[in-house]
Amino acid sequence: MDWTKQLGRYVLVMLLQVLLFDQLQLWGACHPYIYVLCLLMMPITLAHSVDMVIGAVAGLIMDIFSNTLGVHMAACTFIMFVRPYLIGAIINDKDRLNEQISLRAIGLEALIKYVVILVFIHHMMVFSLAAWSWDHIGFVLLETLVSSLLTIAVIIGYNLLRYR
Amino acid sequence: MQTLLKILLKYSNFLVFIILEVAAFLLISMNNVYPRSSMFSTANEVVAWQNAVISDICGYFSLRSQNEQLVAENVALRNQINALDSTRDMSAFRYQDAKVVQMTTDRLHNHLTINRGSKDSVSREQGIRNAEGVVGIVQTVGRNYSVVLPLINTQTNLSCRFTKNGYIGTLKWDGKDSRFALLADVAAHMVVNPGDTIVTSGLSKAFPEGIPVGIVENSVLKEGDSYHTIRVRLSTNFKRLKYVEVVNNMHQNELEELTDGLD
Repeated sequence: MDWTKQLGRYVLVMLLQVLLFDQLQLWGACHPYIYVLCLLMMPITLAHSVDMVIGAVAGLIMDIFSNTLGVHMAACTFIMFVRPYLIGAIINDKDRLNEQISLRAIGLEALIKYVVILVFIHHMMVFSLAAWSWDHIGFVLLETLVSSLLTIAVIIGYNLLRYR
Repeated sequence: MQTLLKILLKYSNFLVFIILEVAAFLLISMNNVYPRSSMFSTANEVVAWQNAVISDICGYFSLRSQNEQLVAENVALRNQINALDSTRDMSAFRYQDAKVVQMTTDRLHNHLTINRGSKDSVSREQGIRNAEGVVGIVQTVGRNYSVVLPLINTQTNLSCRFTKNGYIGTLKWDGKDSRFALLADVAAHMVVNPGDTIVTSGLSKAFPEGIPVGIVENSVLKEGDSYHTIRVRLSTNFKRLKYVEVVNNMHQNELEELTDGLD
């Protein structure tokens, strides 16, 4: 897989994230972080620790844009840590994993499982770490649910359009 | 030694994971206690510039120049009033206009970025207001931009008083509605009516006394409570915030030196 393409997509997705999705004001609780698309779809050909460092850096960049230093970094590092184990658990045919993780590579059912679990973990961590107290747990859960749904829809939609 | 190395090598992935997570959590906890470096926030030049561009694009083109004119005029007038008004000791305060380039209103920790920084001699803990009332307090200062903690941030506390009898309370935000905040520490023996006006107390260095904060919407006093639960409708409309003023206390250094001497 071509890494310049991955980087190009990251830049485009970050632009969309900052210019469009960060400006959304839907129902007061919808703050989707679609930039995780790039992390989730990255091929798992690299060493596990390199994966996690990439996740941490991507999270740190998002943190600077949202004034939440460390929050996205923690969440992204965690999903990059879990990712290979989850892939191992979901997918039986491991020969097909030389390319990036997409609809074409792993099929719809596996993709949905994979995206839903990781996006939910990521958003849950981001919103609860940003709140940094138990006082607003109800709002945090609502925010997680609503935002995750939109992020998941964007990632699956992108795969349906591009990697059918 | 060799076995130790082997073990480290075997669990190197987990070690990297732990190191990265510890680093992230250190950053988060530093953030919550100590003001962050301006480089890693929206006071960062690149990020703020991008936000400034967005706010320019989204701005109301036709109204903007007029607004700017009016804000500048307001500032000039307020400075004149302060110069004249020596009886209320407000002469220590000067105002400077600023534009909001980025703002969130629907999160727990809302913040806004303004286009004034250290080169305009903005410093931490300075107050931010607009024509309607109090907006917030400067948290992080970059060269050209600063990050402000607005009243609608769960971390913000502001000392306020009732205009009718000078009774003092602390304004906090519950993270729910950007139009309302809560006034704490008002003892049960005090009579609170809807419609009572709340203004700044003048006890903090950030604001002079008497800047509008809000109006009491309702107050609840449960049996056995020693404090009222007061909901305050904020004077400032945060959803429409575009132009603000930085409050500069000319005596800030002197006050800080005095209080530092007490420790």
